[in-house]
Amino acid sequence: MAKALEGIRVIDFTVWFQGPVSAQYLADFGAEVIKVENPKGGDQGRGVRSMKSLAIGDWNQYFLVINRNKKSIAIDLKKPEGQEILYRMVEKSDVFLSNLSPALLAKMNLSFDQLSAINPRLVYATNTGYGRFGGVSKPSFDMTVQALTGAMARLGEPGQPPIYMGMGSGDAYGGIMSAMGIAMAIYQRNRTGKGQCIDASLYGAQLYLAAPYLQAYLAGDKKSALQQSRKEVENPLWNLYPTAGKWLYLCEENTDQRFALLCNALGDDGLASDARFASAQARSENNVALIAAIDAITSGRSDDQLLAEFERNGLVHSPVNSYADVVEDEQAWQNNYFMKAYCEEVKREVDVRGLPVTLSKTPGEVNTLGPQLGQDTELLMMDLLEYEWEQIEEFKAKGAIP
Amino acid sequence: MNAALDDVIVLDLTSRFSSSLTAAFLADFGGNVIRVELATSPQERGQAKAGWNHEADLIHRNKQSVLIDPGKTRGRELLVELANQADVIITDWQTPDLEQLCLDYASVAATNPGVVFGRTSGFGPVGPDSDLPAIDELAACRAGAMPTLQQPGEPPVYTGAGAMHATVLLAFGVVTALVHRQATGEGQEVDTSLFAANMYGASLDLQAFLAIDEKQRERLMHPISRLDVSNPISGALYPSSDGRWVTLTMPDTDRWWPLLAPAVGIDVDDERFDSHDKRCEINRLELIHELEARFQQHPGAHWRALFAEQQMSADVIEQFDYPAQDPQVAANGYIMELDHPSFGKLNSLGFPIYMSDSPARLRSLAPCIGQHTAGVLHDLLGYSEDDIYQLTTDGVI
Repeated sequence: MAKALEGIRVIDFTVWFQGPVSAQYLADFGAEVIKVENPKGGDQGRGVRSMKSLAIGDWNQYFLVINRNKKSIAIDLKKPEGQEILYRMVEKSDVFLSNLSPALLAKMNLSFDQLSAINPRLVYATNTGYGRFGGVSKPSFDMTVQALTGAMARLGEPGQPPIYMGMGSGDAYGGIMSAMGIAMAIYQRNRTGKGQCIDASLYGAQLYLAAPYLQAYLAGDKKSALQQSRKEVENPLWNLYPTAGKWLYLCEENTDQRFALLCNALGDDGLASDARFASAQARSENNVALIAAIDAITSGRSDDQLLAEFERNGLVHSPVNSYADVVEDEQAWQNNYFMKAYCEEVKREVDVRGLPVTLSKTPGEVNTLGPQLGQDTELLMMDLLEYEWEQIEEFKAKGAIP
Repeated sequence: MNAALDDVIVLDLTSRFSSSLTAAFLADFGGNVIRVELATSPQERGQAKAGWNHEADLIHRNKQSVLIDPGKTRGRELLVELANQADVIITDWQTPDLEQLCLDYASVAATNPGVVFGRTSGFGPVGPDSDLPAIDELAACRAGAMPTLQQPGEPPVYTGAGAMHATVLLAFGVVTALVHRQATGEGQEVDTSLFAANMYGASLDLQAFLAIDEKQRERLMHPISRLDVSNPISGALYPSSDGRWVTLTMPDTDRWWPLLAPAVGIDVDDERFDSHDKRCEINRLELIHELEARFQQHPGAHWRALFAEQQMSADVIEQFDYPAQDPQVAANGYIMELDHPSFGKLNSLGFPIYMSDSPARLRSLAPCIGQHTAGVLHDLLGYSEDDIYQLTTDGVI
C-alpha cells in the first residue's frame, strides 16, 4: 500500500506521551520513525503498566500503542561516541523531534543551531511545556498545564470541583498539533530545501481545547469562564437528561414543532398544554421550570424505553455511552477507529486504537506495535549509518551502544 | 516573508466551528483560503448580535469570501470552476448537499484528480451511522468518557474538546496528503469525524479499557471521587482557603514526597506516609484527608508561589482571566492583540504552532460575505470586468 510519508525519516527523541503520539501519527502514515533511547531503561513510558492503581492487561499497552510502527536504537548520548552516532543519523534524517526541554537539549549539544548546521534540510521540532519564549520552564504534565488554561474551571456543575478532561487528553491534543506542524514544515522544506525549528507546546495546544469559550471570554463574555448548571441552560431542548439507566443527550432546536415531538415522546399531555412552555420564548424564559419538569418525567423511565420513544419521534439524541459500549461500537470498528494488531509480548492479536483520520489512497497502517528497547541498533548502524562491523564493536566496547 | 502553505489554494465549504477553524489554520500558515458562501442560505456567521464578531475573526481570519447563488446554472458552474482550481477542499457539508452541486469528491476528482478533499463527518465515512448529523455532543456521547469525568452522583460532562481535536486531525491529514501529492501528483480523500476525535481525546482510558481484564473494567467506567483517588498526590484536586483548587501530578511519590511534605507542613518522616506503599495503599485515604485539611490552610496564591519555588509538578486551577493576562501566553503569541477597524485593540486567540522561518501571521480579519467575489473570479478564474459585471447583474454573484 502506498504511504503518504514514504521516504521521510524521523528521529524520535521523545518520552512519555505527547512526543511519542506526535511521532506515532507520522509513523502510521509511513514515515520511518526511529526512536532514540537511553540503553538504561529507555523511554520512561515503558514502565507504565498500571493506571488508577490497576494493572492494565497482560501486555504493555501504554507504551506499545503510541510507539507502534517505530524502530528503536539505543544510544548513550552522554558518551562522545554516542553523540557521533546521533549526528550521523541527523545527516540522514528529515525530522528531529523531542519533548525534552530546549535547555536540556542544548546541554546535550542537540540544539536547533547545532543540528541544522549538520543538516540544513532538517525539520527540528520540540514539544515544550509552555512555549519556546517567555522563560517559563517548570515541570509540565498534562493536568497541571490544563489547569492554567481555564478549560477545567468552566466545566462541572456550579460549586463542584473543576473537571479534568481525561487522562492524556492534553497530551493527545498536543501530539496531533505537533504532527500537523511537522507535516507543514516538511511540505515547505520539500519546496525550498530548507528546514526550520517548530514547537507545539502543551500549553499552546491546550488553550485551543476550549477555543470557542476562551475566544468568547476574550471578547468580554465573562460568563463563559464559569461553571454553568445543566438545570439552567437557555434551550431546554438541547440538554442532558437523566433516566433510570443511562443519561440521554437531546440535541434539538427550540421550536414549537420539535417541542411537540418531545412532549409526544415523553407521553405527557401536561407538558404540552402548560402555558409556561407554549412558545420558544416562553420555554427559554421558563427554562428552569421546564428542565425540572422534563427531569421529573425522564428520571423514572428506563433508558431503553425513552430511547425508543425519541427514535420513534425523530428526535436528535444519543444515550451517554460508557467505554463498555464504545469498544463494542460497530461504527468505531468499521471506520478503523479500533484495529487489531499482533503483539509479540503475548503472542496474540490485541485490540488497539486505530486511525482517527484516514487518507483514501494512503490510508495509514498499524504494522507493528512498539519496538523492544534497542532492537534495531545493529541493523541501523550497518545499513543506515554505514558503519563497518569493527567500528560497531568499538562503539560497543566504549559503551556508546549496548 | 515566505509561508509554509503559500502555494496552496483551499476552497472552504464549511459551516461548523471545528472545520472552519481547520481552514483558518491552513490560512494562518499561508494557504490561500477561499470561503464559499451560498446566496440561497448564507451561513450563520457567529452571533448576529451587535459588537465584535469574535467567532468569525477566529474561524474565518485570513480568508477570502465569495458569494455565489447555486440556484442559477451559472452559479453552479462557477462553483465547479472554483473546485477545479483548488488544491484542497475543506468541508463539513453532508454528502447529498455536495453531490447536488457536483462538489463531492468523485465529481471534483474527475476533472481535478490532484485535489486533496478533506472532510469532517459526524461518525466516519462508512458504517451504519455514517449519515448521522455532525453534532459534537452526539459524538461525545458515543465515545465513553462523558460518564467518567464528573464527581460521583453528578451529571455527565460534555467538554467540547472533541470538536477541537477534529480541527487539528483534519489539518494534519490534509497536509500529510499534500506531502504525498508533492511526491506523486496524486490527490485523495481525507476524512476525520467528531466521533473519532472524541475517542482520541479519551485515548488513554479507552486503550486501557481495551486491554484490561474484563473483571476490572468497572473502575474505568465510572467517576472516581476526588477523595478516593488511587494516588493522593497525582491527578488529585484539593480546595485552598480562598476556594481556588490545587492540582498535583506527582506519580513518582518517592521523588516528590520530600519536597511536598514540608511544603504542606507534614513531617517527611511521618511514619504513616514514609513509603510509596503507605502513601498510595495502606494509608491512602488518611493522606487524602490530611492534604485536604492542609491545603485549606492557605490561599491559592500561597500554593502557587511554593510550587514554583520548589519546581513542583503542581499548580492552581485558573479561569480564563489567567491565560488572558499571562505574559507567557503573550510571549508565545497564543493569544494576540489585534487592531480592529471598528472596535480598536482586542485580544483574540493566536497561533498554537511556532515555526521559526514561516510563522503564522494575521494578514486579515474575517472577510465580509462576498467581499472577494470579483477579485477571485478575476485572479483565479480569469473573468474580465465585463463578465463579472454581467454575472452581478444576473444575480449569480
